Amino acid sequence: MKIRFLAQTILAGLLVAGAAQAQTVTVMGSTALGPIVKKAAEDYMKAHPGVQIAVSGGGSMTGLNQVTSGGCHIGISDVFATPDQEKAGVKNHNIVVQPFTLIAHPGVGVKSLSAQQAEQIFTGKVSNWQEVGGKNQKIVRVIRPESSGTRAVQKKTILHDQEFAKDVLIQDSTGAVVTSVATTPGAISFVELEHLEKNKARVAGIAYNGVACSNETVKSGKYPVFSYGHAYTNPAKLGDPKVKQAVEGFLAFILSHDFQQNVLKAGYLPVDYVKSLKTKL
Amino acid sequence: MPDAPEASIPAASQRGGYSAEARMDSPSAEAGVPAFRHSRLQRLADRWARLGFLACSLLVVGLIGGILFFLATRGLAAFLPLAGNTGRVLSFSEVFLSADWAPSSDRFGILPFIAGSLGVTGLALLIAAPAGVLTGVFIAKMAPAWMRNLMRQVMDLLVGIPSVVYGIFGLTVVLPLVSRTWLEDAPASGFAVSALILAVMIVPTIVSLSTDAFESLPSSLDEGAQALGSSRWQAIWRVLIPAARPRLLTATVLGLGRAIGEAMAVQMVIGNNPQWIALMRESTDRAPFLRALFTPAATLTTELVQELPNTAAGSTWNNVLFAMGLLLYLLTMVLILATRRLGRGREA
Repeated sequence: MKIRFLAQTILAGLLVAGAAQAQTVTVMGSTALGPIVKKAAEDYMKAHPGVQIAVSGGGSMTGLNQVTSGGCHIGISDVFATPDQEKAGVKNHNIVVQPFTLIAHPGVGVKSLSAQQAEQIFTGKVSNWQEVGGKNQKIVRVIRPESSGTRAVQKKTILHDQEFAKDVLIQDSTGAVVTSVATTPGAISFVELEHLEKNKARVAGIAYNGVACSNETVKSGKYPVFSYGHAYTNPAKLGDPKVKQAVEGFLAFILSHDFQQNVLKAGYLPVDYVKSLKTKL
Repeated sequence: MPDAPEASIPAASQRGGYSAEARMDSPSAEAGVPAFRHSRLQRLADRWARLGFLACSLLVVGLIGGILFFLATRGLAAFLPLAGNTGRVLSFSEVFLSADWAPSSDRFGILPFIAGSLGVTGLALLIAAPAGVLTGVFIAKMAPAWMRNLMRQVMDLLVGIPSVVYGIFGLTVVLPLVSRTWLEDAPASGFAVSALILAVMIVPTIVSLSTDAFESLPSSLDEGAQALGSSRWQAIWRVLIPAARPRLLTATVLGLGRAIGEAMAVQMVIGNNPQWIALMRESTDRAPFLRALFTPAATLTTELVQELPNTAAGSTWNNVLFAMGLLLYLLTMVLILATRRLGRGREA
């Protein structure tokens, strides 16, 4: 018994020592992408005992800033790198697909909007639900703050890069947006698909050009409103070849067929679902 | 340092240092009470404790100074070409005198936030100050003892409620209620509801401090007024409130300080629209003041809490947000200094 215990202790000690010498890869950025990347890190570390992957938050911009300056190895982000960051050598990897949908207060009397109607609502040309076939009720536009990744996606896909109307309600988080839409008659907003699915009893989904957002419609290419979750690396700052190897191995693992099936459970779609599309988002 | 010998543990150190105090205490020592003496160990502990306290206070001062330095360098980076600043250098007028806030389009007027902060805080005070002071009079001068104790405890409890709770309550209960009852389902986000929520948040502070103010007045004031034939109301209005005025002002300013720095609760109900001034200008409403009360607006704190975590460090946008933080810090400092001033006026 004693010898076995001793052997176990020595083995554990060796493992700890081994872990201390392991390659550590640091990941920072988007809190939205955090959970799925953390899951990937756990699975990867199980398969590769020599690698430690530390995932922390901070926000999309923090992730991008840190990876640009070499403060972390991988920056995860909901938004695209700025031209300056691209010039500094930051390299993009799309790791998941994030579908977005329009939602509205259940009482507005509209089930679908054309692309033009949706654009006109958010740019302020249309201000009453009557003008798009609904009740005689003022449209209340609920959007995210200017620095939000969701807002950037919305501006690009729904508004085609035009400015938002001045008459808007702004909420800080998707949760607050959903609550606001659920409690404000005439409200319309734009959220990740999983938030509509979680709140079907409180808010109504609005189809875009007659197509409702779902995993299937995104996959078949009928539904065009989605964005990518990004992982950025800065190859110039990955000095140690061992670290470089670990980073590349981890990214390849996230993009592997097996792990991409896991992202479905977290509300994302595998990247290869939409590989055929060339939307730059 | 007159060192006692090594062996002088408490019992043996009867002839140690501090002889003056010890001799003064000696009669009581003879009466069986141990003499007041410090052992070498105690003195050492004293010295270390002193160093410890000094270190703690230096740490606090250093932290506050550090935060101010950090805020100042980051905030002033918007206006000065400092090192590590990748953003554009702005002029004071295009930041402080412009109402046009569109950071993605390189326009950085923060007037809507300043006006928003002052507006919502002013409105909240209009509601909270009279309510708080009158409640203070009631608790201190009218309520029976059991009610006084109860009210005081309730007020202390209210101060401790996290602001996000007030915010959720406003978002899910007050906003829909106001919208349904008075606005024909139009959204109620804006100054009115935010000020109401803020008022509820700061009333306990004002009540506690004004209760103290009235309780500290000599009872002769009240008695004298009544002896001269004044009614209860006259005594309160003509004698007690004027006498307590400096401390009531302090209470109000402290409430004001809490209101102007509040971010979470306001952020959830105000609507956070930085374009509210432009929106007001375009509107052709017949009752602009009433409309302003229910127009989604934004304040310094709400904008900071929404945008600061998501902007790139060193960018113009980030710098201007830090400048807003610095402005808020300076406003709070002015309020604290004003409180000191008012507090001193009492003794004069």
